[in-house]
Amino acid sequence: MSVQYMPVLWNRNKIFYDAVLLIAVGLYLFVFIRVAPAFEDVSKPIDGAILRMRAFGSCAFLMLTIILCIGPLARLDRRFLPLLYNRRHFGVLTAGIAAVHANYVLGWYFNFSPTDKYAALLSSNTSYGQVLGFPFESLGIAALLILFVLAATSHDFWLSFLGAPIWKALHMSIYAAYAFVVLHVAFGALQGPADPIFTGVVAASVVLVCGLHFMTGRMEAARERGEETAKASLQENGWVVAGDLDDIDEDCAKVVTLNEDERVAIFKYDGKLSAITNACAHQNGPLGEGKVLWGCITCPWHGYQYNLADGRAPAPFTEKISTYRLKLIGSTVLLDPNALPPGTHVDPVEIGGAA
Amino acid sequence: MQTAEFLIDIGRYYLYAGGAVAVLFLVIGIERVEPSAQESYAFRPLLIPGICLIWPLVLYRWFHLEREKEAEE
Repeated sequence: MSVQYMPVLWNRNKIFYDAVLLIAVGLYLFVFIRVAPAFEDVSKPIDGAILRMRAFGSCAFLMLTIILCIGPLARLDRRFLPLLYNRRHFGVLTAGIAAVHANYVLGWYFNFSPTDKYAALLSSNTSYGQVLGFPFESLGIAALLILFVLAATSHDFWLSFLGAPIWKALHMSIYAAYAFVVLHVAFGALQGPADPIFTGVVAASVVLVCGLHFMTGRMEAARERGEETAKASLQENGWVVAGDLDDIDEDCAKVVTLNEDERVAIFKYDGKLSAITNACAHQNGPLGEGKVLWGCITCPWHGYQYNLADGRAPAPFTEKISTYRLKLIGSTVLLDPNALPPGTHVDPVEIGGAA
Repeated sequence: MQTAEFLIDIGRYYLYAGGAVAVLFLVIGIERVEPSAQESYAFRPLLIPGICLIWPLVLYRWFHLEREKEAEE
């Protein structure tokens, strides 16, 4: 069974997100092009075309900065996750804004060239051996090409068709695009007359992007070390590693064999985990092969039902089975092999709220 | 100037080849290798820019998925 592809999937949240995005971009461009010139140095007026070029170029740079900050921010604080889930339209719009910037550059500097304007762009400066006067346009072209590829392969189809490893590797090139853009700006706009505001913005962007990635890297390394310590401590106390959370399908169980006579079924359901004995109280039917409905497991042999949180059959029935304690460390499920008395309530482990 | 023109020609022919691959893939290939694309047509034009840009990778995956399908049968 599969779901058919749509051109663009919108829901209320995405429409709201896109509306805010468009308004923010429109406001930035309006302020840059219409309001800011009123405060410029009248002795050094800037042409309208150059102003538009800078407005769209700086907007694309800031958008790229925000895109790269969303990932680490979402890892630092889950409240940023909605931004992460809606990042696709942000990326496509960034590529569009960068393309408008490039179009203004071509239109202003190369439109009246006797040769093809693209050839003129590539051949007007070929001093690749020097730092001052480096042909920074080529860095911008490289970044733009990457942004085009990423925008063009952002549809769900590409993730499925290319496979997650290739798609992810392709989309990691966003970092190369950012590096090219920073160098494009450093060798280009920052080489002109000193502009402390723009220089400050570029420096802040680099510090922010690098700093956030460094912080999340350290935080995740510390979390992994903590998880390893917690796991080792539980194992020392006799707990057993039951497997990875991803090994268990939704509303199904993973059956863990403790010894010849004792098997435990660990169920994943409604964002929770619970463990009960695998043997039904009726005729030892394999409960782990049953499916969960409304928090109850139904024995596939004769239909006996048990509440997963306490191992008790729903009233008026009185059968009870053993329950077990679980812990979720990272994505590893750990099981206390000591069976609790039949019918003992154990709070299910919340998957989202696990430490 | 010659180098620039040469590079632009390479880019142009690369995109022409991508256009040809896009037609082939969207008419023949996509339904063979992507079940969710069957009877779903409106989204296909959105794939054209991507295919034009990364058509060697598209051909590689198409070939790979066809072989996987053959192996399963």
